[in-house]
Amino acid sequence: MKSLLSTLVLTTALTMPGLAMARQVTLTTNLKTYGGDGAYLALYVTDASDTYVGSLWMAGGKSKYYKHLTGWYRATGGDTAQVNGITGASVGAGRSLEITLDLADALFDAGYTLHIDAAVEDMRDSPNEVSVPLTTDGVGTPVTGRRYIADFTYDM
Amino acid sequence: MKKTLTMLTIAALLPAGVVLADDDGCSVPRDQWQPREAALQVAQDNGWTVADFEIDDGCYEIEGRDADGREIEVKLDPATLQVVEMDYEDDDDDYGTAADNPAPAGTVAPPQNGLFGTGTPPKVKVN
Repeated sequence: MKSLLSTLVLTTALTMPGLAMARQVTLTTNLKTYGGDGAYLALYVTDASDTYVGSLWMAGGKSKYYKHLTGWYRATGGDTAQVNGITGASVGAGRSLEITLDLADALFDAGYTLHIDAAVEDMRDSPNEVSVPLTTDGVGTPVTGRRYIADFTYDM
Repeated sequence: MKKTLTMLTIAALLPAGVVLADDDGCSVPRDQWQPREAALQVAQDNGWTVADFEIDDGCYEIEGRDADGREIEVKLDPATLQVVEMDYEDDDDDYGTAADNPAPAGTVAPPQNGLFGTGTPPKVKVN
């Protein structure tokens, strides 16, 4: 038992540098007052060759609506495992969604792009509302959305 | 009649992309549309109570209750009046099941997709 513990301590210590290579980032998405139901929002990342890497957050819990987040859906085939543990409520018109997370350091200044797809019931789907390169220069600079999102900012 | 005309005008003004944008939408040329009265007749024939009737994704869409009183949302092909999609709002008897929904944040760890620097789940506030 003791040796198991020390192994655990050792392995944890060894993986720590990897884990420490993260920075706390706050992603703020301000919605317009578009006059409709709560918006489903998919936040996900693609790499330099525009290949889907993974999801950061899914606002909206019912998977039957995910097909309306067309960019995310195409990239993932609607695989809900992609957003297990990172799913919350949809976001009302005029509200602001603030996500604070530890983002891997390697994502910055390396050609990665953060995308947001948006969809609102009975209104037009809006994939790629926001598409913003993850760079240290871009920190704190609001990016304008197209249909439902007023603006998006990442801060650290 | 005036309402139908208004609806048709609005529909005609919408860009074609709206109609074609969605996989489960309808893409029927306007001149093949049956009048809304015919769609409402379908509802009546099925014993549905109509709470809301509109056009969505190029389909007629009826929200209301079925004969058993369950909340429904039905899309009809505007030409054939066939059911394109039928959702039960109580969710349990949907195409999928509630089990298809992803696990909410906090109940399981975030996916190991390399994006999260640590296994810490994101903290979220809606203001």
